[in-house]
Amino acid sequence: MENKEPLSPHIQIYRWHISSLVSISHRITGVINIVAITFICLWASLLLLGESNYETIDFFLNSSAGKFIILGFTWSFLFQILSEIRHLFMDLGYGFELQTTKITGLLVIFGSLILTIIFYLIGKNFI
Amino acid sequence: MVQINLPENSKVKKGNYFKDKTGSKNLRKVNIYRWDPSKGENPRIDTYEVDMDNCPSKVLDILNKIKNELDPTIAYRRSCAHGVCGSCAMNMGGKNGLACTTPHADIDGDIDIYPLPHLKVKRDLIGDLDGLYRQYQSIEPWLKSNSKSDTTEIIQSKEDRKKLDGAYECIMCACCSTSCPSYWWNGDKYLGPAVLLQAYRWIVDSRDDEREARLKKVADELKLYRCHTILNCTSACPKGLNPAKAIAEIKKMLATANL
Repeated sequence: MENKEPLSPHIQIYRWHISSLVSISHRITGVINIVAITFICLWASLLLLGESNYETIDFFLNSSAGKFIILGFTWSFLFQILSEIRHLFMDLGYGFELQTTKITGLLVIFGSLILTIIFYLIGKNFI
Repeated sequence: MVQINLPENSKVKKGNYFKDKTGSKNLRKVNIYRWDPSKGENPRIDTYEVDMDNCPSKVLDILNKIKNELDPTIAYRRSCAHGVCGSCAMNMGGKNGLACTTPHADIDGDIDIYPLPHLKVKRDLIGDLDGLYRQYQSIEPWLKSNSKSDTTEIIQSKEDRKKLDGAYECIMCACCSTSCPSYWWNGDKYLGPAVLLQAYRWIVDSRDDEREARLKKVADELKLYRCHTILNCTSACPKGLNPAKAIAEIKKMLATANL
């Protein structure tokens, strides 16, 4: 037959909900975290090469772009941790009721944002 | 593999517009996915203006009304109209469900109706479920008992019978499996929520003697562990079942069983 059967639309039309959003964000933050850890390792390695390297990076991290990246990494780590805790409970068989998944999903989303702000304030005022 | 975009022959084009002829004040726009296998064209979205004053409450009623009064060429599956047969599973307002049990009042704005996602389309709203049925067959969904007697029944305690609640009610409408992104990307290998819920139903049946063999069979990186608890399945199930929890229970059994 010449006209091959088409594939029905999927991700283009399917409505997002809390759990699917948390799931995809979990994956994205996972990738971000790998990049972040790589950068942190590179930063640490550069210290071995001398003081001037440290100063250059220190200057960059204290710029607004640098601060934005650090805050982004902080959120990404926190999101991953909270989401992973949610997954641990699911692995034990808890928290599968629709209402519960919604609440725990919202906890992950807003919890990670609030914790990021708390981390920022602690870093700004006490360290 | 993950393929976000639709293939070239599946890209959806704008279709025909059916203007209201009744002069009704209470109109709703209904956008329906159309594809005619006898023409070499891409799928299209036809828009119908439907008089809601003379339309019962469910999405299936809208489809029947369109087929009877506006456009007899539209094709969709339906049978019982009471949420029992599972024929009219489709995607309405971005969510899978049964057209006969989904109230159109629950959908905001225009009513978008698509076939179940990521299936080969046979025509209009009819998707090809052969792959899913083959997977269903692969888990051998029938009782396997060592009982030799043909005349005495196999007794089951009330507690054991209770384990089947939430699993035996499944009507195999495929709303869950076709809502699952993991099933979209790996549907050839991953069994999907509908089939895994049935696998679970036979694993926990106290009358079945092949529990271990059944567990071993689904213990596979792709068949089972592609479930990442996205929970589209549970939120889509028109019977209020929880395939995601059943999959988690299978994973738990495999983690603790000594196979």
